[in-house]
Amino acid sequence: MSDFRAKRIAALAAKIAAIESGARPELGVLPFGDPRMDERLAGGGLPLGRWHEIAGAGIEVETSAAPAAFAALMAAPLARRGEAVWVLRRDDLWAPGLAGLGFPPERLIQVCVRDEAEALAVMEDALSTVGVSAVFAEVEAVDLTAGRRLQLACERRGGTGFVLKRRPFGGTAKVEAAGSVSTTRWRVGSAPSEPLAGEFGLGAPRFHVALERSRGGRSGEWILEAQGAYSWEAGDVAHPLRLVADLGDRELAPASERHERRAA
Amino acid sequence: MRRLAAVSAEAAKLGLHVGQKATDAMALVPELQTADAEPEADAQALTALVDWCVRFSPAVAADRPDGLFLDISGVAHLWGGETEMMADFRNRLSGSGLEFRLAIADTPGAAWALAHYGRDGTLAPPNGQAELLKPLPPPALRLDPEAAAQIERLGLRRLDQLMDIPRAPLGRRFGASTLERLDQALGRSAEALAFRRPPTPWVTRLAFFEPISAPEDMARVTQDVTAKLCARLEAEGRGGRRFEVAFHRVDGKAPSVAVGLSLPGRDAVRIARLFQPKLETVDPGFGVESVTIAAYAVEPVSGRQVRLEAGLDAAVEDGLVPLIDRLTNRLGPCAVWRATPFESHVPELAVAREPPILPRAEARGGGEPRNAVEGAWGVGETSARPWDREAPRPVRLFRRPEPLEQVVALLPDDPPVQFRWRGRVHRVQRAEGPERIGEEWWKGDIGDVSVGHVRDYYRVEDAEGGRFWLFRAGLYNGEGPPKWWLHGLFA
Repeated sequence: MSDFRAKRIAALAAKIAAIESGARPELGVLPFGDPRMDERLAGGGLPLGRWHEIAGAGIEVETSAAPAAFAALMAAPLARRGEAVWVLRRDDLWAPGLAGLGFPPERLIQVCVRDEAEALAVMEDALSTVGVSAVFAEVEAVDLTAGRRLQLACERRGGTGFVLKRRPFGGTAKVEAAGSVSTTRWRVGSAPSEPLAGEFGLGAPRFHVALERSRGGRSGEWILEAQGAYSWEAGDVAHPLRLVADLGDRELAPASERHERRAA
Repeated sequence: MRRLAAVSAEAAKLGLHVGQKATDAMALVPELQTADAEPEADAQALTALVDWCVRFSPAVAADRPDGLFLDISGVAHLWGGETEMMADFRNRLSGSGLEFRLAIADTPGAAWALAHYGRDGTLAPPNGQAELLKPLPPPALRLDPEAAAQIERLGLRRLDQLMDIPRAPLGRRFGASTLERLDQALGRSAEALAFRRPPTPWVTRLAFFEPISAPEDMARVTQDVTAKLCARLEAEGRGGRRFEVAFHRVDGKAPSVAVGLSLPGRDAVRIARLFQPKLETVDPGFGVESVTIAAYAVEPVSGRQVRLEAGLDAAVEDGLVPLIDRLTNRLGPCAVWRATPFESHVPELAVAREPPILPRAEARGGGEPRNAVEGAWGVGETSARPWDREAPRPVRLFRRPEPLEQVVALLPDDPPVQFRWRGRVHRVQRAEGPERIGEEWWKGDIGDVSVGHVRDYYRVEDAEGGRFWLFRAGLYNGEGPPKWWLHGLFA
């Protein structure tokens, strides 16, 4: 009985996906390479030709160092296919740091804008450009209209957008937008590193990553490690992020899951 | 002693002349009205006039204190000929109440002589200036006063007398500069003029029957004039890197807007679209009566065939190069960059900003993304060594390091165990360092070199996993606690 239901639901979901995508070609996904993560994402990986939202945890809300690094690592395979544009409001992004993590800095075009509206406009412009495969923008909030515009821009040329939510220094928190149309929403903080046995100092950078929303998939929470960071292998690994620990399966907590669905 | 610097036509009739003592003039004409000479204001007015004249030709040179040269080669046909152009020029100039004399000749020297000593409005036929110069007095050659006085003393009253003297004795007697001036006037040697803006033959203009001022009209004429110039560029297989549109208003002012391209181009639609957002800043005043556009940095551009299956292939407008042009023109040239390595140990100097698209990319096949080999580490653009990927460097680097408070370090040269930044205390769990980075002492003054400019960098991680790049300024030397700074944040 339940098997039958599951099959019906799967068939309906496929139908809905076909209607939603319309005539637009399937753009594919960017798998993380670990089934524990990929199964939570629709299509088995980070959907391309969409935009994703990455927020910070703790002080990262203002500094946005870990979210920036996480987004860069997630998009590093994309940046090898075309140019990457990074829209900044404070120009404190430092290319040598990204290079050390394995992001190709020669593919990075940085744009410094004056205000939030301009950041979103530049992001939209860059997304609908041929030859630009990934666009990052540091903004405070994306409302429904802006989100829809970004989605349309993504669909035009198949670019993938990464919105880094970042509050200006010393600014008060804006009221969170009621809803968001991003395909996935992540919350990223840094996690303590573990140096290899017998080594001093710090280990490879680790991130505490929570997938808070995943359209057509499920949420999850993990500890990830930047593979090969600060070494000559940086950028030559299969995927720059390696799953270290699975922290929680939201499927086991149905109450919060239902709440999550409604909020989305 | 006060002397007359300039006299009006009426005063000249009464016998007053430039250089006369003011008291003598007052004695001659008791009701004489004088005003103090203002050479700076005159120079400014001449500059304004030069700017105004750009509507006639892009190459205008001021001839201080009271003249100007227009290089009208290749532009007179826009008026239908030199005669018509001079008539139009005279017409417009007399509207502003100026006293002036005009002449057109092959060389600046001949034009100057004819304008100052010939008949007003003389139009010397090509290669015919020698005939017209013959009856003029020698000062028409812009001689230095000594040579002019010498010529005067010898009773030479007309230029043809000078021209008849063999060159060698002429040069010996009156100086090489006299010979030079004569040659310049007759076109036997070239003369360099200091044009107010670089002359470019890539100029087009549009004139209107009625002055325009509506924003949509301004947008349309910008498109039209751009299309006109781009058609010319296309016909000659060239493209420009910088375009400037000037709106000539009825009150004589000419506000202009400029756009730049990262690669030479001649796509009228694209260029006109770059102008669009800037047109708001142009104040049309009482109306704009003509528009000129000039292209600068014009280079040959190889034509590229527009793909036939336009539906499948990307439109040019969607490419990377137009995107960079749009952003650069909207946000300013400093707001869009690609970070490239610069060889320096000092962290804040290790990144150089480069325009995202270098013109050299055109030679390798235009705006297409560079292939992996060319785009790889440091190959191509710069000769600087790439950043060391093994040295941990932060993702965020603060423009100014932020001071840390309550820093506790157990031993000199030990990393801190605790520090306070932006009102929060961080307990250090793990640390790496120090990495000592000295100042670039070979760049500064030898007296400024001291151990106080050494920075010891540590990479530390706090209990929550936040990773910081901090440094201690200077060495421990027993003079108070050292200063600690936070320079960047790791992922």
